[in-house]
Amino acid sequence: MSTLVYMKILELSPASYDGWMRFLTLGRVDRIKKKIAADWINPGDEVLEIGCGAGSLAALMSQRGARVTAIDISEKMLTEAREKVPDADFHHLTALEIDQFPPEKFNRIVATLSFSELTADELDMVLTLAANLLKSGGLLIVADEVRAAKPWQRVLAALIRGPLTVITFLITQQTTHVIKNFEARLATANFMVRRRQEYLLGTMALFTAQKSDGN
Amino acid sequence: MVNIVNRIKDFWFLFGRLFPFPIRPGLRRIGSPDKNAPVLITANFELTVRMVMETLKRDGVNAWLLVANTKGINVWCAAGGDHFSTDTVIAALKSSKIEKMVAHRRLILPQLCASGVNVHSLKKRSGWQGRFGPVDIKHLAAWLGSGRPNPPPEHRRVLFPLKDRLIMGTNLGFNNLLFAILPLLLVSWWLPGFWWKSTLLIFAGSILNCAFVFKLPGRPGLQKGLAAGVIAAAVFTVIAVLSLHLNTLALSGWLIWIIVICAYLGYDTPSWSPLWRTDMKELLLGEKSTEVSINPEKCIGCGLCRNVCPAGVFGRDLLSGKSLVLHMERCQACGACAENCPAAAIETNFEGGICSCPTCQILNKLKK
Repeated sequence: MSTLVYMKILELSPASYDGWMRFLTLGRVDRIKKKIAADWINPGDEVLEIGCGAGSLAALMSQRGARVTAIDISEKMLTEAREKVPDADFHHLTALEIDQFPPEKFNRIVATLSFSELTADELDMVLTLAANLLKSGGLLIVADEVRAAKPWQRVLAALIRGPLTVITFLITQQTTHVIKNFEARLATANFMVRRRQEYLLGTMALFTAQKSDGN
Repeated sequence: MVNIVNRIKDFWFLFGRLFPFPIRPGLRRIGSPDKNAPVLITANFELTVRMVMETLKRDGVNAWLLVANTKGINVWCAAGGDHFSTDTVIAALKSSKIEKMVAHRRLILPQLCASGVNVHSLKKRSGWQGRFGPVDIKHLAAWLGSGRPNPPPEHRRVLFPLKDRLIMGTNLGFNNLLFAILPLLLVSWWLPGFWWKSTLLIFAGSILNCAFVFKLPGRPGLQKGLAAGVIAAAVFTVIAVLSLHLNTLALSGWLIWIIVICAYLGYDTPSWSPLWRTDMKELLLGEKSTEVSINPEKCIGCGLCRNVCPAGVFGRDLLSGKSLVLHMERCQACGACAENCPAAAIETNFEGGICSCPTCQILNKLKK
């Protein structure tokens, strides 16, 4: 989604992060997070959130009665998140260090707008590590920027995104990316995609994937 | 074909070096590295990776090169902007599976990433022992061959020779024009030809300012920019009176415009240089000059601050072996010393890892 280009600016000021995300995605990110918490998280679930930001999803999942462990690489964001969700367990870790949690500890792993920050090699490795952390039948739930399927959507997205990329870069020296071939990567890491829902002209998607049995 | 593509890239880098140019991160082989070969890491800025690979191949080094995902930004800027951090290095190490390729756990880091990478935290989190190499890749082979723990002091300093100043000048000229071109075109609506004359002025001013004004005595900054502007305006007046038949209004317009451009360049350029910090921050935000102090009670005399400082701020107390602040005026406020001090003995009056250019400083201030 084009406005997510601004995400990088927002990352610099965690205090207003969630509010701005809501504004820029026209409430969409909030709705996706609420949907994740409502549809896929049950009381007593052991959840790992990769890239928790200021902790808005961690809060929703915690309210649902899940036991939340969350990681992020921004200390500022983590400080904010710890205040917001005192019940959850926050760690400063990269996604590649999740192997320090015991295998099969979790039955849900969630990541919103964080996998697209990883390189292809990193993403493949994180998916493999995530599969090891999930209990049999556990779910990986990912919401992120994707390449729109239809050409007209892509053109429209590029038209909006191009100038925004330039502006964002001039202010923050940063860019955002889309996850490519995510379904194929999931399959390689032994996940079975159960559901894919699209948002915002097909430039954002919510994937729900299950760890295949006999793993 | 590769050569033509590289020449096109080189042309872009004459002007567009201030923009990121990402290439695929990951593990590269230089020569034929074995399990004892050194492991190096660098940023995924195209020019950096190409220069590192070419230089090391030329010098006959066999090594593993990890290209970290620094969002296409060069080492120093990425480290300052939190894109070349301990996390970045850990992600690069882990995703490359380099631990299966080598029998050791020693990683050579570019010195200028020290403002983002903490080697103690790296060791604790990943088991890899980080060590800072020289500033310039062309000194790496000699250092590796010397077997010394650290590169010699002269290879740990950032200098700004004429060649670098000229390159920075062309890039700043291009950068300034990107921001100025639209307003210039608008003004050209009622002042025909204004845009291209101003374009020439800004571009030439950027290069001359970067290349030579720094060399004049005095501290670079707004005042020196104004002084240069007055001199340039005087030269322009002579030329205008002799050959351009301008009326008084047009002449005074151009004079003011020349002084404004020179003053702006004087204010903006120091922050882009590796030797001077801008004084505009102090003027606009009322902040004090950079201060760094070492608490002698805490200092353990490991000397890491002296190794990572690219400006030669620190010296060593001969009696106690502890570090001392010797040249405060050289400090760039990169924060490398405080980031890597194992004893938390270094105190600064600035937040490390924040770009010192006026625009970034003001934006950061506004965000708080």
